[in-house]
Amino acid sequence: MSKNRLNVNRRDLFIAAASVAASGMLDVSVGAVSDYKDFRSDKKAKIVIVGGGYGGITAAKYVKKQNPETSVILIEKNPFFVSCPMSNHYLGDFYEFSNLCFPYNNLTVKYGVEVINDRVQDIDLDKKIVITPNFKISYDFLILSPGISYDVKEEEKPFFIANPPAFKPGGEHLYLKKLIDEFEGGDIVMTVPAYPYRCPPAPYERAAVLLNYIKKRNIKAKLYFIDANERPVINSEGFMNAYYDLYKGYAEYVTGTYVKGIDAEKKVVKTTNGDFKFDLANVIPPMKASRLIEKIGLLESGQRWVEVETFTFESKVKDVYVIGDSARSFLPKSGFGAHMQGKIVANNITEKLTGKKAKDELLMVLCYSMVSDEEAIMSETSFKIDKATGKIIPIHREDNVRRKSTVKRYNEWARGLWRDLFG
Amino acid sequence: MNRRDVIKSCSMFAVGTMFNLINFEDVLASDSDKGSYKVYKKTLLVKEDGTPLKESDIQPYTAFLFFYPFKSTPCYIINTGHEVKPVEVKLKDGKSYKFAGGIGSKKSIVAYSAICPHQWSYPTKDFSLLNYYSPTEKSETTGKSGVIQCCAHISVFDPTNGGTVLEGPAEFPLAAVVLQEENGNLYAVGILGKDQFNEFFDLYKSDMIEQFGSLEKAKEELDKTVVMEVGKHVKEQIKC
Repeated sequence: MSKNRLNVNRRDLFIAAASVAASGMLDVSVGAVSDYKDFRSDKKAKIVIVGGGYGGITAAKYVKKQNPETSVILIEKNPFFVSCPMSNHYLGDFYEFSNLCFPYNNLTVKYGVEVINDRVQDIDLDKKIVITPNFKISYDFLILSPGISYDVKEEEKPFFIANPPAFKPGGEHLYLKKLIDEFEGGDIVMTVPAYPYRCPPAPYERAAVLLNYIKKRNIKAKLYFIDANERPVINSEGFMNAYYDLYKGYAEYVTGTYVKGIDAEKKVVKTTNGDFKFDLANVIPPMKASRLIEKIGLLESGQRWVEVETFTFESKVKDVYVIGDSARSFLPKSGFGAHMQGKIVANNITEKLTGKKAKDELLMVLCYSMVSDEEAIMSETSFKIDKATGKIIPIHREDNVRRKSTVKRYNEWARGLWRDLFG
Repeated sequence: MNRRDVIKSCSMFAVGTMFNLINFEDVLASDSDKGSYKVYKKTLLVKEDGTPLKESDIQPYTAFLFFYPFKSTPCYIINTGHEVKPVEVKLKDGKSYKFAGGIGSKKSIVAYSAICPHQWSYPTKDFSLLNYYSPTEKSETTGKSGVIQCCAHISVFDPTNGGTVLEGPAEFPLAAVVLQEENGNLYAVGILGKDQFNEFFDLYKSDMIEQFGSLEKAKEELDKTVVMEVGKHVKEQIKC
């Protein structure tokens, strides 16, 4: 059985962090604030990207590629990239964790993007400065791609550390995998929040992958799959068929049911449809925009996602963009969607810098889902824009037939994205 | 060279001054993207038994695979069954280049690099997601026929229209292989359009070293290239 080969220890992490940080130190201006008009004359615009996920990396790479004379700085708290797409493969034990990990080096080596390995503490939107514990970095354009935060109460946090939702890539997945590997049988409780949340098919794929895991190992277990939605929000037919055909007797699917609370001590998840005792829990909480976004005032009171211009992703603050899962968008929250948004924003900034009209990016998302260790299903949504009315018309296609060949397409879908991000 | 041969050899370019390939650049000088044609080694297309491939060997509506301009870079040659007319291929960045149409007696034979210009999927020995769909074969996903379609991210290309993108996320058309017919033999002589070879060798460097021993060997240009049924090279053609 494949196991994690990464073996990143504390010392390695420190070295990686230090070296990445060092690579970005030379060009960091401390406290200097560029005047918006200045960059047009010297063409040395400074673009800062916060968050090195699918959206941030794409934006950084493409804006630098299109505008080599600009200074592009990517700030990311983790020393290397870990992919959330394909992470259920790892949890299901048919993919190695190391396959999800990529260094940021090529962005610097090949494209000249400066990568700073640091945590953003605050952003002064008036003075146009990003503040980390080590730097103050000025910008002309700011792209925020910080991902999501879990919308949980302070007192619930210890539970979610001990039972990670694993919807933020990295350590959470490693720890959840350890819990899965140590699971000897009993009741598994998995919950899905009401849509929207990060990656629509991911909870349903994870349920299938967990069921496949216990079935293949003959573990005496039952999955209580508690969904706030009335049915799988995507590929409903394909997922339901898989649950029924492949895992009959292994699972109970409870729909339209919300989590009310968790009794960590008694190991009980309390829902609007009764209490569920668990031996293994994967409670996926409601999500909202990153806390950083809230802190800097871009999130309106009572809102979970940031309002942005529909087709440019520019926020209410000029030249400040929000992309990826923090933004409210017609594009579903997903790595693929964030990647697309990164390209759109890069084009938009290029248009502002050069005055030349940017090319239109195709608006689409593609989602693949494993339903066992051998078969997958998929869906595709493209978005046509009615230019007269501005109306967005989604065209949705699903292939709900379980196929081995779709697994190969899934793998190549991810590899293609990674080639685009890191190649 | 008699008059008939001259006409044959020039048919790909649809212009009358193509005796010398260098002249092709001159023709492209009128295009907005002058760098869209690259001359590579003139390579004879042969059958698996080593004899020269003839037009009649390329049955209509079937894609055959060969490697060009490098021994590691796959291409498809297709007899579309009807005349493929010259066309100006327009790119998203506003540039354009001239695709000179098909060759052969019916001007129906075209060839394209089989590296998807979106995110560089290509037919490997294990499987291919970038495949040709004959006019009678309908894609389950897009409903399209007579196309080259990549099932990784659903980019669809039109082989009868210079490899242009019909739908999907690909930014560029498929790069076309420029073919010449001389005395009944077929030659590949260059690549037209946004080829993806730099990206290919960069992204698949370790695969190339594993497969060919070194990157340099993977980049060898060929005097002859074997044209084969796709299934001879690829274990599984995955269509969608």
